[in-house]
Amino acid sequence: MAAPSAPLKSSAKLIDPGTLMRIRSLELRARAVVQGFWSGIHRSPYHGFSSEFTEYRQYSVGDDPRYLDWRVYGRSDRYFIKKFEDETNLRFQLVVDQSRSMTFGSAGYTKAEYAATLAATLAYFVYQQGDAVGLLTFDAELRDMLPVRHRTGHLRRIFGALERPAAGTGTDFVLPLQQLAGALRRRGMVVVISDFLAPLEPWERHLATLTAVGHEVVLFQVLDPRELSFDFRDAVVFEDLESGQKMYVDPAAVRERYQRALAAHGSALRGVAERLGVAFHALRTDEPLELAVFEYLQKRLHQTRVERRQSPG
Amino acid sequence: MSFLAPLFLIGSLALAGPILFHLIRRTTKEQTQFSSLMFLFATPPRLTRRSRIEHWLLLALRCLALGLMALGFARPFLKQPPSGLEANGTRQRIVLLLDSSASMRRDDLWNEARRQAEALAQGAGVADEVAVLTFARSTEVLVSFEDWQRTPVSERAALVKGRLADRQPGWLGTHLGAALIRASDLLAESAGKEAPGIRRVVLFSDLQSGSHLEVLQSYEWPKEMELVVAPLAAKKPGNASVQWLPEAGEADSLATNQVRVRISNTSDAKSEQFQVNWANAEGTGLVTDPAPVAAYVPAGQNRTLRVVVPTNGVDARRILLTGDGQPFDNLVHVVPPEPVRSSVIYWGTDSTSDRRQPASFLRETLPATRRQFVTLIARTPEQPVTPAELEAAVLYVVTGAIPAETAAEIRRRVMGGKLLLVALRNPAMAATASQLVGVESLPVSEAVVRDYAMLGTLDFRHPCFAPFADPRFSDFTRIHFWKYRQVSADALPGARVVAGFDSGDPALLEIPAGRGRILLLTSGWNPEDSQFALSTKFVPFIYSILEMAGGAVTTTGQTLVGDAPELPAGFVGDGTDITLQGPSGAPVSLGRMVTNLPVAEVPGVYSLRAGKITFRYTANLDPLESRTVPLSVDELERWGAPVRHPTSPAAAGEQSRIKTELQSQEAEGRQKLWRWFVVATLAVLLGETVIAGWTARKAGAA
Repeated sequence: MAAPSAPLKSSAKLIDPGTLMRIRSLELRARAVVQGFWSGIHRSPYHGFSSEFTEYRQYSVGDDPRYLDWRVYGRSDRYFIKKFEDETNLRFQLVVDQSRSMTFGSAGYTKAEYAATLAATLAYFVYQQGDAVGLLTFDAELRDMLPVRHRTGHLRRIFGALERPAAGTGTDFVLPLQQLAGALRRRGMVVVISDFLAPLEPWERHLATLTAVGHEVVLFQVLDPRELSFDFRDAVVFEDLESGQKMYVDPAAVRERYQRALAAHGSALRGVAERLGVAFHALRTDEPLELAVFEYLQKRLHQTRVERRQSPG
Repeated sequence: MSFLAPLFLIGSLALAGPILFHLIRRTTKEQTQFSSLMFLFATPPRLTRRSRIEHWLLLALRCLALGLMALGFARPFLKQPPSGLEANGTRQRIVLLLDSSASMRRDDLWNEARRQAEALAQGAGVADEVAVLTFARSTEVLVSFEDWQRTPVSERAALVKGRLADRQPGWLGTHLGAALIRASDLLAESAGKEAPGIRRVVLFSDLQSGSHLEVLQSYEWPKEMELVVAPLAAKKPGNASVQWLPEAGEADSLATNQVRVRISNTSDAKSEQFQVNWANAEGTGLVTDPAPVAAYVPAGQNRTLRVVVPTNGVDARRILLTGDGQPFDNLVHVVPPEPVRSSVIYWGTDSTSDRRQPASFLRETLPATRRQFVTLIARTPEQPVTPAELEAAVLYVVTGAIPAETAAEIRRRVMGGKLLLVALRNPAMAATASQLVGVESLPVSEAVVRDYAMLGTLDFRHPCFAPFADPRFSDFTRIHFWKYRQVSADALPGARVVAGFDSGDPALLEIPAGRGRILLLTSGWNPEDSQFALSTKFVPFIYSILEMAGGAVTTTGQTLVGDAPELPAGFVGDGTDITLQGPSGAPVSLGRMVTNLPVAEVPGVYSLRAGKITFRYTANLDPLESRTVPLSVDELERWGAPVRHPTSPAAAGEQSRIKTELQSQEAEGRQKLWRWFVVATLAVLLGETVIAGWTARKAGAA
């Protein structure tokens, strides 16, 4: 994970995730985080960009006459359609893993709580920007599916769905991705928050479909520090939170192999992300949320600008 | 340190538990939830070097707790050095009590008892004291403690052996209770003189159930005495016996000429079929004529049978039972009842046909019964009596004046041992009476009686009135005497007033005459003189006199071996030597006067003779002796005997083991070391808890 950028570090007071998680209300938590990094961002990278003009195109039958540029018609007597970057606000789709593997946590709170806070923070932030937010939670199957909207009370429903306990006994990425590919007609941003502790192969293809449609996809991998360090001491029976499978493991004996396998999995995930042009962020639950969000936003801004500059005009 | 329950030490095997648990702690069911096992690999639960015992202190404490608990349960105690006496062998005072009753005649029981007793005497220590007693009906000291002490140590065993050598079980019953009391008294007598030590009675007996233990009921056993029972068992269990059931007077067996016998069979018997009959001359088999009586007697039951008295000259004195494995009580001695034939000579002026005269009453009184045939020979004073008749008669009765030569003859016979009854019916008989009693002149006068006279004083000890001694029968006041003759007892040398009238005059006098006696009745029994003959007292009175005369002596009797039979009432010697002939043969003189008969030592028929009177009686085995079913030793305990259980001398090792065990138990009970072990266990467990808690907290913090 990249080090947090200097200005944020110096100017903003970071909230310790442990402290943050003690706030019961998800909304308050999200607000606290957003306020935390709000001071570090002077201008919304999204502000007004959707009304930016991109190009003209000759009118053809079937085009919406609303977008005819009458001034050009007055000058040249030809129909041109004025095209903009996007007509609407950002459509922000959150996909949150609520399987039981997310209930592991060694720092006094679980990955699920951390993920929910992250999702809530993003949702709150985007909503505050006036953009539409949707939520899809899943485990072995689809759970809650809130459409992408910007309405009064919608945010509260999202928070409600996020607060539901993670109880799924499996993680299936294929279902939500398939669902989203069918449901999201308009391009938007899809943010997937999960621990991604599941085989990659089955859903890689569906992720590609999603990016091919034009959605911007961001993957947040939330991991507990203990999952990374695997610093268990005693040999005990480990129980898989999802499958309930039990295995007698001597941590000392398997730690290295475990860490190697986990790292391999992480790099595979990263490889997939790079291959598909998808943003990937690995988060540790003991890291302040602002950092995660800020870092993401920095990247995102940078990426957008690059994209804009590169976009044909 | 020793242990009372060393088996509990096996519990210390549980020490392996904590060690094993400490070693395989990692395979416990402790679980940790983890997000995903997809990157984990199962580790085989092997005992790697690192997984070896980690908490040495805890392990040590747990093992210590278990070990202490096991030790505590094993009831440890410190063996104390035994007290001085026991260290060099306790001084023992032992009474060897050998059963020599008839039932010990079975198999080889006596020899076995003797062998065991001799072995015990042989094994006695120098300081020990041994007495040897045999018992049956009574207890006999063969070797006393004093004998033992006097004898040099090396000869003591030989002394016991020698005294026992010529002993054989007798024919007597088993009075075990009395013998035990005697033995324990013997031990108690010697107590106090010496240091206590062990006091023990060793009983060698077949412990048959008919052992007369009743006397033990009220006996208080001395403290510190113990009874060791060496039970002897016959090889062949079961025993049948035969007993003679003598007839009561009124029984009708004489008519059919039979004797009754009872066959008893013990409950542990195997045989049930028996035969009973008169024994042959050798006493080993049955005669065939009359035919033997078959008897089916199941175990534990008895049957009564009749055996016909033979008339063909067979010796009818022994009845034998065959079919039983134990012969000691299969022969019973009987005296078949025989009718007594005797005669009475009566001299009187009256005729027996005159029903109001004395002769008639006398005849009525002496009818021929099954048991006796009394012939009354009535003579008028003038009628002659042959010497043979005079000799045969047992009783002379004179109720009238008789010629002087007849009186002299009677007097002579009486002096020779006959009994004479004289009834003074009138003063005119004075001459006859004085001649008969042997005085110059006997003053006889008619008494003046107002209304009537009664018998005022009676000597119920006299054989004549002995049957009336019971207060129910002693009332003679109903008998009125209208007339009687006054005779002064002073005029009669040696006369004894047996009965007197209320006026003080004698009614019946007994005057000794040589070897015989004269009874002088001063009245007649005919209604003219008195109501005597009409009263209920008359017949017994006459029979008493007849018995005195030996004419109605009970001829049969049965006694048990070891008992002295009672002398039959009226058995009075006639002045000649009284002889007793036992089963062994030769008659033994008992002197002229006999008050008690000697104890019958062996079973058989005894004849007691006094002149012409013979009293025959049998001595048979105590029927209880035939009840050979062994008593359990517990039975003795029920009677309070301090029985020590592993009793046979062979089990001495066992005894000493038990003794050691008891001492151990006592020591353990006194020391109660187990409490300290429990306390230590608790303390260790407390420490373990504290340390384990601390370790766990530390581990949790880590």
